[in-house]
Amino acid sequence: MSAVDDRPAPSVANRRRRDGVGVGLTVWGVLVFAFLFIPIIVIIAYSFNTGRLLATWQGFGFDAYGAAWENPVLRASVITSLQAALGAAVLSTILGTLGGLALARSKVKAKWVLWATGLLTITLFTPEIVDAVSMLPWFVSLGTDFGIAPFSNGMVRLVVAHSVLSVAVVTFIVRARMHGMDESLEEAAADLYAPPLRRFFQITLPVASPAIWAGALMSFTLSLDNTIVSSFVQVPGATPWPVYIFSALRVGLRPEIAAVSAVMFVLTLLALAVVGLVLRRGGQSAEEMAKTLASA
Amino acid sequence: MTTTEIMTLAQEPGDGGRGARRGRGVGAAGSSRIRQRLSGTTIAGFPTWAFVLFFFIVPIALVLWYSFGYKPDLFSAHANDKLSFDRYAEALDPTFLGTFLNTLRIGVVGTVICLIIAIPFAYWLAVKLKPQYRALALALVLVPFWTNFLVRTLGWQIVLSPQGFVSSAMQGLGLEKLDVLYTSTAVQIGVVYNYLPLMILPLYVAMDRAGTSLREASADLGANRIRTLFQVTLPLAAPGIASGALLVFIPLMGDYVTASVLGGAQGNMIGQLVASQFNTAQNWALGSAMAVLLMLFTAITVAIVAVVALVIRFGIRRARRVVLTGGAA
Repeated sequence: MSAVDDRPAPSVANRRRRDGVGVGLTVWGVLVFAFLFIPIIVIIAYSFNTGRLLATWQGFGFDAYGAAWENPVLRASVITSLQAALGAAVLSTILGTLGGLALARSKVKAKWVLWATGLLTITLFTPEIVDAVSMLPWFVSLGTDFGIAPFSNGMVRLVVAHSVLSVAVVTFIVRARMHGMDESLEEAAADLYAPPLRRFFQITLPVASPAIWAGALMSFTLSLDNTIVSSFVQVPGATPWPVYIFSALRVGLRPEIAAVSAVMFVLTLLALAVVGLVLRRGGQSAEEMAKTLASA
Repeated sequence: MTTTEIMTLAQEPGDGGRGARRGRGVGAAGSSRIRQRLSGTTIAGFPTWAFVLFFFIVPIALVLWYSFGYKPDLFSAHANDKLSFDRYAEALDPTFLGTFLNTLRIGVVGTVICLIIAIPFAYWLAVKLKPQYRALALALVLVPFWTNFLVRTLGWQIVLSPQGFVSSAMQGLGLEKLDVLYTSTAVQIGVVYNYLPLMILPLYVAMDRAGTSLREASADLGANRIRTLFQVTLPLAAPGIASGALLVFIPLMGDYVTASVLGGAQGNMIGQLVASQFNTAQNWALGSAMAVLLMLFTAITVAIVAVVALVIRFGIRRARRVVLTGGAA
């Protein structure tokens, strides 16, 4: 009798305790989110600073946005960044799509698959400073010693360097998408004697397209974001905006830098929203999206 | 050796898909004729591998080559007509070693703090949070991740500045002026912040994949929360912990933006030393040797941690096996 009475007691205590832990976890979650957003909110807030120095608050106003717009060097750097990001997105998406399809449609145990996957994974895990210091001499050698003029061009350098950093991301996103897809569509097309190119454009590409778009936008934002490699390979006259900010660090930061950052932040958010929409339309759940992005 | 270690861990997120594919492969084995016709797609990957080889592997090989050379005069960055290990000897001076140890400390402490912050957070995200809010929460984790690294760090510079609003608020409360900017504490805060999303995401994926049934089974079998945490939840999250730790630790060791913005003279990191050899000193030979040493030391650290983790896992499994057979007998 007493044993039966005792039973519910621990479970109630248990539930109450679970609630305590649950509340604690929720508080922790909110705190971490606050931590994650502190500097972003601060930068956006300080873009409305009317003072001369970024960190010293004077008053509220839109002066910094006007100053940023009227600063020709800053404006040129944003345009350079957007051009480089577009170029890198196109190049790394083409290469990444080819690579991803090749990996997804190969025999899993083939030796070259292991090598190719390993190669791409190493690009993801190499410290960026190593990428930076190795690409600079290589571009200089190609451009000067071997006389291949395009590699002395700042834009070419930025596009190629950023593509190296994001080609693995695109490849893995496309591979993940094609892994989840049945091959029977392509096999049916092959059985119906569709020539390889037609099969590729009418079956394979449409099936892979959500991943391709996601990869393209991802490499676009990665390129827009890149500071370290850009600051090494850049050529005067084609300075991307993070590098401009990085060099302004020594001179002293002004609020217009926060204004540009706020604008670029909104731009990145838009790109992210588009990635999300594209992935969702392609039938990926939020979980799958996170996995895709986490593997990147 | 370490690279294969990293590779297998990095492949983890795609593992589910690979398993499913293998299952399907059995059924499709008969259609090898069609497979052969499809092999055009396999060849399609070669431009990609060629690109990565030419613009990633070759440059790194070049750096390795430069590291055996020397700086001939004031106006040339490198020469390779005489090869030696002298640049390595030169690189391993007390400044480099001191900075390296400083970087290692920041890296290890940063990775551990990221783990401590991210484990409960990822658990909350994957298990406690209502499913309808999960997509939004994940998007919110991704937003800082996709905001410019340098800009986020500048935000911390404002927050931590002695003239900033936090410092003023502290003085308003009768406390001392905030004095952490341009110290290694500021760098530590900055790197934890900058790399935290890279820890949260793989942990979330691992915890989400583990599902709830095993934890419920553990509770049903009478294990308390602590025991369930250490014997079920964390072991199931182990792949996420491993890839998160790698994703945080390796880029962190090579970071130089955070230290440049928040560190000042006190918070030097090894990335800055490497960068300054290429940017300021124009000594590519020495800079290359430093870059190679950075990669080597990072790989060795990862290998040591991996071996220790494997030994611990082996030990735990052995200990448990004894308990199990005892119970069966």
